[in-house]
Amino acid sequence: MGDLYAWLVSFFFLIALLVVVVYQLMCLADLEFDYINPYDSSSRINRVILPEFIAQGVLCIFYLVTGHWVMSLLSIPYLYYNVRLYLRNQHLVDVTEIFNLLNWEKKQRLFKLFYLVCLLFLSIFWMILTALDDHE
Amino acid sequence: MGTENRGRPQFPARPAATPFAAAPPQNMMPFSSSGPVVGSEASGFRPTPPAAPHPTVPSSTPVVGSQASGFRSPPLARFNDPSVPPPASNIPPPVGPYQHFSASAFPSTAQAPLSRAPPLGQPLGQPPAPPASLRPQSQIPSVPMGSPPQSINFASPNVNVPYSSSDSTFPAARPNFQSSFPGYARMQSNADSQAPPLQYPFPPHQGGYAPAPPASSSPFLTHQGGYAPAPPVSSSPFLAHQGGYVPPTPVAAPAGLQSRDQMQHLGSGPPIGSIQGLLEDFSSLSIGSVPGSIDPGIDPKALPRPLDGDVEPKLFAEMYPMNCDPKYLRLTTSAIPNSQSLASRWHLPLGAVVCPLAEAPDGEEVPVVNFVSTGIIRCRRCRTYVNPFVTFTDAGRKWRCNICSLLNDVPGEYFAQLDATGRRIDLDQRPELTKGSVEFVAPTEYMMRPPMPPVYFFLIDVSTSAVRSGMIQVMAQTIRSCLDELPGYPRTQVGFITFDSAIHFYNLKSSLTQPQMMVVSDLDDIFLPLPDDLLVNLSESRSVVETFLDSLPSLFHDNVNVESAFGPALKAAFMVLSQLGGKLLIFQNTLPSLGVGRLKLRGDDLRVYGTDKEQTLRLPEDPFYKQMAAELTKYQIAVNVYAFSDKYTDIASLGTLAKYTGGQVYYYPSFQSAIHGEKLRHELTRDLTRETAWEAVMRIRCGKGVRFTSYHGNFMLRSTDLMALPAVDCDKAYAMQLSLEETLLTTQTVYFQVALLYTASCGERRIRVHTAAAPVVADLGEMYRQADAGAIVSLFSRLAIEKTLSHKLEDARNSVQLRIVKALKDYRNLYAVQHRLGGRMIYPESLKFLPLYGLAICRSTPLRGGYADASLDERCSAGYTIMTLPVKKLLKLLYPSLIRLDEYLLKASTQVDDFQNLDKRLPLAAENLDPRGLYLYDDGLRFVIWFGRALSPDVAMNLLGADFAAELSKVTLYEHDNEMSRKLIRILQKFRERDPSYYPLCHLVRQGEQPREGFLFLSNLVEDQIGGTNGYADWILQIHRQVQQNA
Repeated sequence: MGDLYAWLVSFFFLIALLVVVVYQLMCLADLEFDYINPYDSSSRINRVILPEFIAQGVLCIFYLVTGHWVMSLLSIPYLYYNVRLYLRNQHLVDVTEIFNLLNWEKKQRLFKLFYLVCLLFLSIFWMILTALDDHE
Repeated sequence: MGTENRGRPQFPARPAATPFAAAPPQNMMPFSSSGPVVGSEASGFRPTPPAAPHPTVPSSTPVVGSQASGFRSPPLARFNDPSVPPPASNIPPPVGPYQHFSASAFPSTAQAPLSRAPPLGQPLGQPPAPPASLRPQSQIPSVPMGSPPQSINFASPNVNVPYSSSDSTFPAARPNFQSSFPGYARMQSNADSQAPPLQYPFPPHQGGYAPAPPASSSPFLTHQGGYAPAPPVSSSPFLAHQGGYVPPTPVAAPAGLQSRDQMQHLGSGPPIGSIQGLLEDFSSLSIGSVPGSIDPGIDPKALPRPLDGDVEPKLFAEMYPMNCDPKYLRLTTSAIPNSQSLASRWHLPLGAVVCPLAEAPDGEEVPVVNFVSTGIIRCRRCRTYVNPFVTFTDAGRKWRCNICSLLNDVPGEYFAQLDATGRRIDLDQRPELTKGSVEFVAPTEYMMRPPMPPVYFFLIDVSTSAVRSGMIQVMAQTIRSCLDELPGYPRTQVGFITFDSAIHFYNLKSSLTQPQMMVVSDLDDIFLPLPDDLLVNLSESRSVVETFLDSLPSLFHDNVNVESAFGPALKAAFMVLSQLGGKLLIFQNTLPSLGVGRLKLRGDDLRVYGTDKEQTLRLPEDPFYKQMAAELTKYQIAVNVYAFSDKYTDIASLGTLAKYTGGQVYYYPSFQSAIHGEKLRHELTRDLTRETAWEAVMRIRCGKGVRFTSYHGNFMLRSTDLMALPAVDCDKAYAMQLSLEETLLTTQTVYFQVALLYTASCGERRIRVHTAAAPVVADLGEMYRQADAGAIVSLFSRLAIEKTLSHKLEDARNSVQLRIVKALKDYRNLYAVQHRLGGRMIYPESLKFLPLYGLAICRSTPLRGGYADASLDERCSAGYTIMTLPVKKLLKLLYPSLIRLDEYLLKASTQVDDFQNLDKRLPLAAENLDPRGLYLYDDGLRFVIWFGRALSPDVAMNLLGADFAAELSKVTLYEHDNEMSRKLIRILQKFRERDPSYYPLCHLVRQGEQPREGFLFLSNLVEDQIGGTNGYADWILQIHRQVQQNA
């Protein structure tokens, strides 16, 4: 039963991460189409970047603690990438250069998005599997 | 703050428009079904009656040419496109001879003097003799109907392209146009050329060239088909000094300068026309290919050198006479590729360099237009401003936007009848419809707030080094002397903050007799001690400000504080200025050491160079600077940084403030008021008094299918294509690159419109609009012919400097070289098939200096060598400077002038204005230095006077007085009481006056005086081999080899 709860929790984590990444992408798209100015856009994005990194780190540890080491392994590249960005001080969006980096920032977030969707499907799959197991 | 695009859909959707080609002139061609239309306006002109057929051109042609040479009509006359185009085919006869004239002799009248011509395709030459009273408007062609089947487009405006005969003194410089006749190639085949080579129409006295017209290039042919033949071959691309050039042979090149109405897409690739029409249009350089040998086989004297300075591409301007002056807008190539595949073969940057406020050429001030009643006329959809290229239709009730081709209504108050040729009758009262550059007075819709007054705020470092160097003294005196000339009297506002380890505010309230100083030493929580009166109106508080400036040097006379709380002081200045915006001048002497934004010494570490960490040295260390810069721009504050330290001050970080706020960095290493005082005085005066545009935004629009994708310069982007420029002036240029959005362009002309919305110092909101047109071509060769080396070099250097921020210097240099190689390789491939090129290096005439400038970019201060070749601060400040420089000044900086002075000084003549000899620039190579000579090196930012070792002591003594034997680093040049010295000072003065934007300081150096000589002078001799870098000949050889590899 505990396993099912673990999957549920990770499911909500992943949903939250997805929402955050989609939100950032939306801000970038708005900027591209000139709906908001670069100052607002970058401050909105920067506000959620650290929560995203932390949530992802917590999720990774959570998988490890609950013994789902495969999932933990799968989310490590993402974590590594985030940590590297943070250590190089490149994690925040630079308002002065945002237009020159727009494509790169979008690409990066789209990758993250796909990555998270894959993880989400996997975790849903495991969740259903455990739920069925529990029934039997 | 100003939205330049109010009301416009937030992102420019450009729906499919009606095909442009259909748009302009034809619709409104009012040709009556019979009879000439000449009448209405061509009052001064009496059409010459048809004469007997002239199968050959009458020998009287030179006469006409000479008559014509005196005649010039205003540019507006020339481009009378709407009236001209297709029906030309109706008048075959006069064409041959006449057209020739129009082409070569008087561009302005090209279309004019066509009388009713017999409709038969019978040659009928009538050299027109335009009466002196010929008015510009007179070039409406007479257009009898009943056209012969073959439609020929020779009479379209492009016949104007060739320069007038009065210009023909420099024909050799412009080899390009011969290729440019639309339909030329076709015509060649269709027309039976009856009149082969004829008398050369230009009297020899006109040319400064050796007229070597290849036999095939008969200056004009009379064609039954009625085609204007290639213009005189004055365009043979070899110049006298290019000894190594292989004389070009003619090549029929594809149509290039198509008129906007009538362009024809001739096949791409250089078509080989009839053999006699073959004009070769590349330059080449023989290279004896003995790879690796010591003697490279290049005659160094034969290498092309830009000794005449920058030559703006005239051809472009003549093609579209209504284009704005190239001072304002220069395209890297004035032939836009018509497909993405073509664009991808053009390896050079595709873009533009814009200098929106460049100083207007004399007598051509930008006209100010005030649409009081109608509001500014703009396109409904793309928000383009009305410009000379829009066309009026529907009897003047509608106008078609030239950029998005939307049909707009003409407001009632702006309505004017169209005359018989489809032009508005009030054209001559409408500068916005005749001039490429205009200024509109913007109504209140263009203001987010009342126009701001000019604001100058000074943030002054008063730590001990600033006091000791004498900077404060010079600065205070200069500001005081400029108070009268600050723009915008009586609204101008000024304010001051000084700082060392604390921040000093000054209350300059007009009721006070003396300024009050308030010291804030809490650096963590900055607050303003006064709500206002820190920034005061200059005219009201004039006496207090003067008192303050007078007392400032003595106030901190014995300051021993060595700290600098720069970050907090900057924040304080920001708080003062955030209400209004304005210009913030920062005088910085020591490395910021207290509070936010403190910096540490870096860049001293030799080992960092060549590693991945190298580029971080050129980036701001603390994110505070970028954030601050972004905030400053948001509040319309421009920052100019003046840095003076003799030690490392981290220009990379400080300069960021200027970079994103449209400012500028001035760097005076080891400032000493005795030496550098004059330079600071001039440059600060220039900065304070030059005409400045405030709270500006700039956008460049272009036609459908083309889009500007990246921008390079000092500004911040506010949206994808809107540049925020808190302050702009005439010394700032911006570069941008464009890309094609559609795989194939369907239009035949691309229009560019630069719009700068700003507040003038007088308080008026204005929009400066520059419009230019460029043809779309299908041929790579044409793109090369129309290339503008100056603009390309400008973009190259900006790209290279930006690359140094993320890559190693080495990589940045290699990328420049690589792109030149790629470009030349593709160019070679164009011709390699038809011509046996062998070991020759070929390049387009338009880009003959490109390799040299490429070398100069690699040798320029920001990019040269490694750790030891330039200090980090110098690199960064030079980088920031180059990012703002307009094309002309940049080229001067890259390839400075070297002039021999001693002969001139020794000449007995007292004629002062005998400067012609002085303009003889020498190639920048040490072999040109005669030890007996005295040379002046001038790169626009500084002078170096080089004293040869064997220079006669008399000269040295006369120039330097008693100091002549001393070490020259300690000697300053000043006027002595003798003729020679006075002459020299006059020369320097003359050179300084030519370009007032910087004050070149004079450095004296003696031959053999190491290491100063190497550092100041020898390392700047671009063509020499120094250290591990290539000399010019080696560089050419290296490029040539790389081009030939798998070529």
